[in-house]
Amino acid sequence: MYRRKLLIAGLIVFLGVIGLGSARAHAGGAGQSDADSHKAFGSKSAPITMETFSDFECPACRQFYLNNYRLVMENYVTTGKVYLVERDFPLPVHAYSTVAARYARAAAQIGKFEAVQDVLFQNQSSWEQSGDVDGTVAKALTPAEMNKVRVLAKSPAIDAAIEKDKALGRQYAVNQTPTTYIHFKGQTYPVVGVVSYDVLHQFLDQLLAQR
Amino acid sequence: MMQSSPLNYRRVFLWIGRIVLAGSFIYAGYAKIRMPTMPQRPPLPVALSFFAMQVDSYQLLPAWGVRFVAHTLPFAEIALGVLLLIGWELRIWTTLVTLLVAGFFFGVVRAYFKHMEINCGCFGTPQPVTIMKVLEDGGLLVLMAAMTVFAFIEARRPHPWTEKA
Repeated sequence: MYRRKLLIAGLIVFLGVIGLGSARAHAGGAGQSDADSHKAFGSKSAPITMETFSDFECPACRQFYLNNYRLVMENYVTTGKVYLVERDFPLPVHAYSTVAARYARAAAQIGKFEAVQDVLFQNQSSWEQSGDVDGTVAKALTPAEMNKVRVLAKSPAIDAAIEKDKALGRQYAVNQTPTTYIHFKGQTYPVVGVVSYDVLHQFLDQLLAQR
Repeated sequence: MMQSSPLNYRRVFLWIGRIVLAGSFIYAGYAKIRMPTMPQRPPLPVALSFFAMQVDSYQLLPAWGVRFVAHTLPFAEIALGVLLLIGWELRIWTTLVTLLVAGFFFGVVRAYFKHMEINCGCFGTPQPVTIMKVLEDGGLLVLMAAMTVFAFIEARRPHPWTEKA
């Protein structure tokens, strides 16, 4: 008798909790809107869009990049399955991350984003101590390219583009990096922190199986 | 009508704890499987592989461990919630749930002190690992430990239906 009453009470609580859960709003994402074409890779008509908000001075972002970037590019971007958009979200706690974002975005303007992104993440522990972003980026570019990047990095348009990414991140309620939003058929799946490629690719494959 | 055991604070605590925790566990499992905050509920394989990414972000388990946890934990949570609710063999299930919650607490505390930028993954929806999350899970662990102790104490007490006529 008591167990039956308890069961009924529990079901009422459970239904109430379900109702609360359903009432929560989910902030969907813009996906491909305003993607900087110099920092977006793959086909816009790909079924999945992956938007990653990242900070060059963030160790977790470095690990996410090293775990996943090359493999996602090889297996999903170049095969037309994923449209990858890299977004800047330099955190105020990192002294040189905005400088690094400026240089990377400037390099993107001359088609050298991937090389600069790689050299920044590979040498993160060095330049985050010394602040020598310029010297680090120079390792990946020719002197002529470096001169162009130095000029572009000072452009107000570069700062505006970074601020635009940050504003979009705030709209998404990004508060940590890396945060990746995976958009598929109007749904947005937020992925916060580092994930291994093994697990990420299984998720991407499950999405693709729903096409 | 059969006489029930006299009411005491342990039994009240157990009743309330069972309802609250059963509801939490059942919802936690349901949320991982059905992702109720999504505009359209994704299919089960998508929901489970999404949960796998949240488990993986703790960087505690190898890939096979992540897959195992992601594919079993939501269902285990629902089953444990139901078992807590109906109160059958309470000592066993409260002990098991306490161990499970202790495991969650360890994962959350480790993530917090390592400044890992991840989502808790506790209820499917994004919840950053903050000090509040640590305190919340710690409180849950204390609650479960108390329930387990009380369940054992209550089981040893004589009850009217065990007294010889």
